[in-house]
Amino acid sequence: MNLRYLRNELYYQKRRTLAAVIGLSIGIALLIILNALSMAYRRAARVPLQEIGADVTVQRSGDVPKELTGAVFPCSAVTIRDEEVRRIEALPGVRGIGKAVLLWVFDPNRVWIVLGVEQQNSVGPSILRNSVIEGRFLNEGKSEALVEVSYARQFGIKVGDTLSVAKRDYPVVGLVDASRAAKIAVANIYLPLLEAQRLAASSGQVQAVSPFNPVDVNLLFIQADEERIPELSSALRTMMGKNATIGTPDSFLKLLGSLFALSDKFTLAASLIAIFVAVLIAFKTMAGNISERAREIGVLKAVGWINRNVVAQLLAESVIECFMAGILGLLIALVAAYGLSFLTVNIPIPWEMSPTPHFLPGGGDQIFKTLRLPVHVPWTLASFAILLSLIIGGLTGALLGRNISKIKPSEVLRHE
Amino acid sequence: MNNGTILTATGLSKKYGDLEVVKGVSLSIDTGEFVCLVGKSGCGKTTLLSLLSGLERPAAGRVMLEGKDITSASEDELALFRRENVGFIFQSFNLIPTLSAWENVALPLFPIKMTGDERKRRATDLLERMELGHRMDHLPSALSGGEKQRVAIARALVNHPKILFADEPIGNLDSATGDAILEILNILHTQDGVAILMVTHEVELAKSANRLIRMHDGEVQS
Repeated sequence: MNLRYLRNELYYQKRRTLAAVIGLSIGIALLIILNALSMAYRRAARVPLQEIGADVTVQRSGDVPKELTGAVFPCSAVTIRDEEVRRIEALPGVRGIGKAVLLWVFDPNRVWIVLGVEQQNSVGPSILRNSVIEGRFLNEGKSEALVEVSYARQFGIKVGDTLSVAKRDYPVVGLVDASRAAKIAVANIYLPLLEAQRLAASSGQVQAVSPFNPVDVNLLFIQADEERIPELSSALRTMMGKNATIGTPDSFLKLLGSLFALSDKFTLAASLIAIFVAVLIAFKTMAGNISERAREIGVLKAVGWINRNVVAQLLAESVIECFMAGILGLLIALVAAYGLSFLTVNIPIPWEMSPTPHFLPGGGDQIFKTLRLPVHVPWTLASFAILLSLIIGGLTGALLGRNISKIKPSEVLRHE
Repeated sequence: MNNGTILTATGLSKKYGDLEVVKGVSLSIDTGEFVCLVGKSGCGKTTLLSLLSGLERPAAGRVMLEGKDITSASEDELALFRRENVGFIFQSFNLIPTLSAWENVALPLFPIKMTGDERKRRATDLLERMELGHRMDHLPSALSGGEKQRVAIARALVNHPKILFADEPIGNLDSATGDAILEILNILHTQDGVAILMVTHEVELAKSANRLIRMHDGEVQS
């Protein structure tokens, strides 16, 4: 293989080189963008759960309370027994569990959405400690409350006030901006988990619908090994029964409804088509280029180039062209990814995961988590695309080179 | 000049389908001899040249070139043999359009392990001998017909061949340029001792050759 010859062929045959490079680069760019978009939707679908420090949420739906007085469970979140929690902890793939109790409290003059949270746990709603904007987070073993800041503003609640919830008094120790955190299990008041469990256990309405011990909960937040989430989801569904609501990145992905979000199979099929188109373009362009050079190949063989020399030269040209196409395709994809990253995506949060009484203002409204589509081209995808370009170049060059090197110089050099 | 036979062909035949274009040709060329093969268009001259130079395989007969039976050699063996022993000059020059004059001359050396400087030195020496030293970095598209043919001759000589096969080497050139090319060929065989087999359809051009071989309808007549 002669580098000078290679360089001259690529440089002086600009039209030929550009046609091959641009054609293939479009296929490569398409491949990268399709996969980057698919990954972006997957990443976006993980955000609602990630923001609450979990990979999976578990709850169980039950009956609607007979009367809306005192503390009740929303129908989408009834008792998960402590022994069930312990069995879930032992499931393969579970790295940690956060527990919570979500209550609606109907007092004579006010309705509260109350969430009982653990004070010390990196999994689940205790992540709200990072969103306290005034005062402090809840302390272990104390009967105190955090109030969601917009709710506090609406009702003039300040740090230091005392709230009476279900006939119990709770000093307000801080205000929390829940909008900074997840849209899942959003409440007006946050109490220590023990307090919420006590409220639920002592409520006749709760016990009437779903018997509850003070150690039980009605929301679980699970941190899990990413690759084992599907398996875990299936195990949870089996364990919790048909009324279970299992929130996973995949369940949010389905809610997005986009083609890219719908299935891996679509992305795989589209990627295969992109690769096929790229190979076809490369092969067709290069086959045309090489057949134009039949006479030139005849000269090379006449002056003493053996088949291996001819194949090596054409192979090198093809690999370099495809490498350039890979780089160009990657650049096109990076620009396109930058443009696409300005798109926003609205992820609907199912009512069941953040239940609000329908009769309250905004109670029936669909909640969305809105975020910019996180389109990135990871280095693994970029490397794969470049490697694929090189493989296409290698195969195309070797195949076409081997074919054209079989020509007889006398056939193409004959002038008569 | 006659130091032995460099090429011997015995009973060469070639068919394309039912058409026999070369019919039982036998001939020999001595070292340093300038032989002209003349005949009308279509009489089989170029096919015979291809058979003698190893570009094509005969249906029957044998070619001994430099003592080697090239009719039984493989494609790659033939290519290597051509690289070391044979030079070609074509009517339409057949220069590589993307290579400069000196790179075209060095083309047969590209597959050989040697330094780039050595390749360039050998190519530029030959171009200077062809009075093209000032044109060595030009592409073929920037050269005249005569210059292109002189580059092609330099390319044919770069491997120090023992025999040159020239197929209508001045067919595309005007008469003055053609004369100059013939002069170069004359010098090559008289001074350098390179055997030359030149194919032409013009008998006039054969006057500078040592020997004339006439071909008619696939057969050698004299």
